[in-house]
Amino acid sequence: MQSDSDRGSRALARFAVPGGIIAFCALAFWLSTQFERVPPILKRGIQPSDFPQLVIGLIFFLTIALMLTDRSEQPDPLSGIVWKTMALLIGFTLVAEVDIFIGLALFAGSLTMLWGERRLGMILLVSIVVPVAVFFLFDGVFEIRFPRGLLTNLWYG
Amino acid sequence: MEAALSGLYALADINLLILIFAATLGGVLVGALPGLNATTGAALLLPFTITMDPIPAIAILTTIYCAATFAGAITAILINTPGTSASATTCLDGYPLAQRGEAGKALGMAAVSSTIGGLVSIICLMLAAPLMARAAYNFAPPEYFALTVFGLSMLATIGDGSPIKNIMSGALGVLLATVGIDLLTSIERFTFGWNELSEGIGFVPVMIGVFGISELLVQADNLHVERKQVIMKAIELPNRADYRKVWRTILRSTGIGTFIGILPAEGATMASMIGYNEAKRWSKTPEEFGHGALEGIAGSEAANNSATGGAMVPTLALGIPGSPTAAVVLAGLMIHGLRPGPTMFTEQAEFAFAIFWSMMLVNVIFFFIGLWGAKIFARVTLIPIQILWPIVFTFSIVGAYALEQSMLDVWIAIGSGIIGFFMRRHGFSVVPLAIGLILGGMLETRLGQSMVMLDEQWWLMLSRPLSLFFLVLTALALFGPMVWNGFVKQRPPLESTGE
Repeated sequence: MQSDSDRGSRALARFAVPGGIIAFCALAFWLSTQFERVPPILKRGIQPSDFPQLVIGLIFFLTIALMLTDRSEQPDPLSGIVWKTMALLIGFTLVAEVDIFIGLALFAGSLTMLWGERRLGMILLVSIVVPVAVFFLFDGVFEIRFPRGLLTNLWYG
Repeated sequence: MEAALSGLYALADINLLILIFAATLGGVLVGALPGLNATTGAALLLPFTITMDPIPAIAILTTIYCAATFAGAITAILINTPGTSASATTCLDGYPLAQRGEAGKALGMAAVSSTIGGLVSIICLMLAAPLMARAAYNFAPPEYFALTVFGLSMLATIGDGSPIKNIMSGALGVLLATVGIDLLTSIERFTFGWNELSEGIGFVPVMIGVFGISELLVQADNLHVERKQVIMKAIELPNRADYRKVWRTILRSTGIGTFIGILPAEGATMASMIGYNEAKRWSKTPEEFGHGALEGIAGSEAANNSATGGAMVPTLALGIPGSPTAAVVLAGLMIHGLRPGPTMFTEQAEFAFAIFWSMMLVNVIFFFIGLWGAKIFARVTLIPIQILWPIVFTFSIVGAYALEQSMLDVWIAIGSGIIGFFMRRHGFSVVPLAIGLILGGMLETRLGQSMVMLDEQWWLMLSRPLSLFFLVLTALALFGPMVWNGFVKQRPPLESTGE
């Protein structure tokens, strides 16, 4: 027998995703109403807001259909390691503001350790050797200029 | 004929041949590595091709496509883990054969049927694509609009998820395509005043995010999965008796795979499932299926490899991707300023045929790699994911940055990776999102052009036979399965009627 609180939390979970999508649609629709409009002579068939609003309407309509028809099971809660991996991703975005390669080295080293790697050689491989090799590959062969940062400044001068 | 020869001549460059050989090895590696597949591999490689000429760039992407699709069979047979979803049915008979000590025979059959399937489908591609392009030569914007809508409607059937969720995911991709300056009116939309967004959201970072970074998060949940390799004796090619048993299956699956591939958005996975089921249905010994039937391997592998050639037909002839990986190839074509469509076979015929020949060459190369290199590639699958995925991440981030040299693209890749992960958890496939993003701009432009052409009376599209035809197909694709299911449910069970 399911308790009332179980049923309640399942119903909440079932409507959480469609609710989030509807909120997104509402926000996107409101944003689309803020677009400039062009005079009829220049509009070339449709106003700039017409097509996005058509698509938002379609997503909204499908979300309602999904709420009425979807009986799929809610996924299990995320494991701790996934949350930690996601936190590392966010950490990477912050450190990359200082230097993208420091961010990559820290992320790769932390991730490999988080996922259970303990051999120092392997940790150094993914956190130092690979990012350095990738930097020189893209810089030298593909002539890509990376954003300036603490480390890249040493190379770019 | 002249174009076919000049395409072949364009391929006769030693550097290009070395590149194709290396890309084949890379493709087999990608197909064999856990979590990576042809689509992810091609998306990750896309930024590497920016500085190349169009022929080598697109040849690399199609090579990855063909080789990775084949390589999924190696892991399917040796470690009971399909390297790509298209090889899931190969596990059913490949692994039991490997456990009986006949892994070599199973790999031999996979290599032979994959090669035959791949080669035949490319011949079909060479014949069908120019014909399809010629048929589309007189399409006006309403026909193109209806065709693109039909292509998007086919997204409903991608994977085994809910059709509604697939269409929602595709619509989200189309909505993302509206970010930036509207090409028809030059008005900014959803840019929030950011100059970098006025060019729109690039499909390369989104693809890297939804295919690569979301997979990294999926892998974080799979750390406990243990992979064990079956010991493989020497490779043994199928003998004459085996061929007599499977040749019909190979031909049938090749036909099925090519046809499924040509359908917009349908790819190798569906082809292999249908190919396998049909092989079992027509077999004289269906009871052997699931216990190591060579016909099962042939049915699955011939179908999934022939779908690669088929999928390139609508991609090149109409600009509508025939599969998820073909969508990445389409993105590559657009990045290199090439316009897939009818003009490709008149204005860029040499390029088109060079791609066809390169795909043919790949099929021959992976035949040998599959036979004699499988043992090495199977070992690669045992690389621990805690080493593999941080390396993949480094390439993903640098690849996302490289195309526009913009950190915004890095944030977009990470953002779409996290969103893609949650979408996948809740049963929304990310493939429609990527395809929607690619086709979105085209869809809106053609709608606008159609409205101008039809004097803003959109309903006149229904008075044009071809656009009506595509719109009817769209309705059938969207509502046909629902109506059919309703019809089947309403029919009384056979027992109750006494039949």
